[in-house]
Amino acid sequence: MREQLWFTAFLNQFLAGPVTALLRALHLQPKYPQAPIPNSVAMEVLVFLFLVVLFVLVRSRLSVDQPGGLQQIFEGAQGFVEGQSQEVIGHHSEGFTPFLTALGFFILTSNLLGLIPGFESPTGASPTVPLGCAICAFVYYQVQGFRHAGIGYLKHFLGPVWWLSWLMLPIELISHTARMLSLTIRLYANMFAGDMVTLVFFSLIPLGVPIVFLGLHMGVSLLQTYIFVLLTTVYLQGAVADEH
Amino acid sequence: MRRTLSYIFMAMAILCFAVPVFAQGGEAASAVNWVAISAGFSMAFASGICALAQGKATAAAAEALARNPAARPGIQLALILGLALIESLALYTLVIIFAKVVK
Repeated sequence: MREQLWFTAFLNQFLAGPVTALLRALHLQPKYPQAPIPNSVAMEVLVFLFLVVLFVLVRSRLSVDQPGGLQQIFEGAQGFVEGQSQEVIGHHSEGFTPFLTALGFFILTSNLLGLIPGFESPTGASPTVPLGCAICAFVYYQVQGFRHAGIGYLKHFLGPVWWLSWLMLPIELISHTARMLSLTIRLYANMFAGDMVTLVFFSLIPLGVPIVFLGLHMGVSLLQTYIFVLLTTVYLQGAVADEH
Repeated sequence: MRRTLSYIFMAMAILCFAVPVFAQGGEAASAVNWVAISAGFSMAFASGICALAQGKATAAAAEALARNPAARPGIQLALILGLALIESLALYTLVIIFAKVVK
């Protein structure tokens, strides 16, 4: 019987049957048919529901004359991401702000969820969640590259000069897929290592010292979110750059 | 001088009394946990070199900031980006360790 958080057990109680049926219909055998939903997916669902509620709340309280605290926080976040993408990408970067802000909120909430006892970070529980975020970022910047330059986007993979393109093509393809790998591993390893280190020090000195590591985990969560969004912005810049 | 030398030679001669240790029969070597040893060494190596590289990056950023405080946003961006990319290389080593040590 796998060990589950209370929210995972709650979800599995109601949804184990339909989820197992769905997995079997796709020819996948769940390892524990009574509890097919793993902790990381349950925590992801929780983050998603929390963020949707938060966004609906903000949307319902938007006002031009008397912005409330929540609206100012969100305006600050949006201004920060927009200023950042303006600095990195330059012109016409406002269209990218919604995706980057949503990605940033998702990763930040996922990371910080691990600080609350009874929950764990979906980004630190299993490499699949950061991989999902990395694949979303990858698909997004490729699509934006194609939208910006049409089929000419493929010239980006061929390098600066035509007589090196036979060499540059495999190098560029590998480096683009390695970006996904590095985004995933960076986020997963930071969150996982934070958990590990807190556990190790908790087993050594149960009182007082682990608080330092929880604080470190908080700082690292913020920094890693910023890095993920910043790197996605840099990849976007590489994809939509105009070569003059 | 001669007394010091004679004391040194006396100490070395006394150490020769430990020779019977070699008479122990060669016992079956207990399995050496190479995975743990190499995990420790590789992580230490990776962390050390990562620290050197991050130190160089921070020093360059601090100097650039001192020369040109008006360029703070750009320098800060480059510093944070560089530090995170260097850090991630040390983290790849950690991930390999977790994949192999925990199996």
